[in-house]
Amino acid sequence: MIGKKAEPYLLLLPAVALALMFSILPFMRTVFLSFMKVTQGGDVIGFGGLSSYKSLFADKAFIRSIGHTLLFVLLFIPLNTALTLLAAVLTRRKGRRTGIAEFIFFSPMAISLSAYGMIFSEMFRGRISIANRILGTDILWLESPISARAVLVFLCVFLDFGLDYILLLSAFRSIDRSLMEAAEIDGCGSVRTLLWIELPAIRNMLLVTIFLALKDALLISAPVMILTEGGPYRSTETVMYYYYLEAFRSSNLQKGRTISTLMALVSMSLVALTARRKRDE
Amino acid sequence: MSKAIRTILAALLAAIIAFPFLYGFSTSFFSVVDFTDSQARFLPSAISLRNYALALSHRHFPRYVLNSTITSVMLSLLRLAVSIPAAFALTHLRFRGQRLIAGIIMATLFIPSDVLLYENYSTIASMGLLDSYMGIILPSIFSGASVLMLYGAFLAGDRDVYDAARIDGAGDLRYMWQILTPLYSPFDAAILIQSFISSFNSYLWPLIVTNRDRMRTVQIGLTMLGFAEEGEKGAQFAAAMIVTIPFLALLAAGRNMIMKALVDTKED
Repeated sequence: MIGKKAEPYLLLLPAVALALMFSILPFMRTVFLSFMKVTQGGDVIGFGGLSSYKSLFADKAFIRSIGHTLLFVLLFIPLNTALTLLAAVLTRRKGRRTGIAEFIFFSPMAISLSAYGMIFSEMFRGRISIANRILGTDILWLESPISARAVLVFLCVFLDFGLDYILLLSAFRSIDRSLMEAAEIDGCGSVRTLLWIELPAIRNMLLVTIFLALKDALLISAPVMILTEGGPYRSTETVMYYYYLEAFRSSNLQKGRTISTLMALVSMSLVALTARRKRDE
Repeated sequence: MSKAIRTILAALLAAIIAFPFLYGFSTSFFSVVDFTDSQARFLPSAISLRNYALALSHRHFPRYVLNSTITSVMLSLLRLAVSIPAAFALTHLRFRGQRLIAGIIMATLFIPSDVLLYENYSTIASMGLLDSYMGIILPSIFSGASVLMLYGAFLAGDRDVYDAARIDGAGDLRYMWQILTPLYSPFDAAILIQSFISSFNSYLWPLIVTNRDRMRTVQIGLTMLGFAEEGEKGAQFAAAMIVTIPFLALLAAGRNMIMKALVDTKED
């Protein structure tokens, strides 16, 4: 048997080693190097201060990618929240037929990014597309910046729909039933029960869902890669997609590190906010 | 809200949510000319399994499915095997440096793996693990959220069981695998299910660490089958359906359990 003293450390070793190797240490290295002067080959040649940050913010393509990301978030979060909340509200009471609706709302979980990406590319392909046929429009969806962004937002709603729906649905269903029964006895209609009792009761869960969606939306890159590759005219190039291009395609590692550090900071503040919400619950 | 309005709204929303999948399913039966009709079609002109036969006889496609299945199963099991001892040690044992270690594990929750893409790629490359199953799964075996979920569960659990097992002479290892693991099986299942789904559907990481055709996972493979270039777009959709439909069936069968698992792993 293992020695009593060493036991806890041995049990924790795999977890801690992996945490250090693939999260803590690479993160610290990234932050540290972003403040250094580093050669293309990766050798540190001195302290760089904020110079990497200055040149990053002087990069017009980067500034534009911030704009694209914020616009994406601004469109995505309200639409995603409204639709998942609507789906959860509509199916929150278990009934004879809610099972089918529940399954449909949950089903996007099983459909992967590549499958959805492939289907969306086909749905919005060229002039003769099913989207144009249904909507009676004549739009080259993926070839103009505005409509390509709309399709990207729409795709991301589907990607997150299943999980967000489940989180909200379970929040609705875990509300203390006696509260709602009391309201009904007092003559509260179902709309008023929803607005005054149920929505306030799930407020925290709703905020947690929004924060998580916000974090994911700010870090969006893979859907861009699959659907538009940043185009048309780089109009859907988000910050993390730009990071991917710089780090992996242009081997511009220092720029990559600087973007990483900034985005980690943004995402950390959101996680901290979420954690506070959860504690308040 | 009157009942009729609610039903209509639910049906409308369900139709929108289900549409892309149904359309993808329909296109998986499209013949080559169905794609180039003068008006976009909803349904194929004829039902034929030709596209499915093409997809299944693709040189690499079955291998992609196998790779994804193997890596996802490995990842889920290893994640559980790493999380249980860690959570056990943090909740049942007292030792020096406990708070520091708990702090390290907590800190990982704040660091998004997306921003470490390049760093982790170079670690895996320097370990010589590119184009290997280990390279695909190693960086995500540890999950702070999984450890934390078990930590919370063990902490809320009954310590008497542990004390009793000790009096009966069960060592910690035996206690962990023969008592603790079955006792908390809903939590174990939650971790397994959530890990499997996220691993099977992951895209960016496997794309970066695999280069050889034989090592691609199915999500990457789907976009690289080359059917579209040969004019056989329908076969590409058939391949996507071959991957999606079993998953959908699985979700339908274990819906309540999976829903619970996803809520549990996301909340903690």
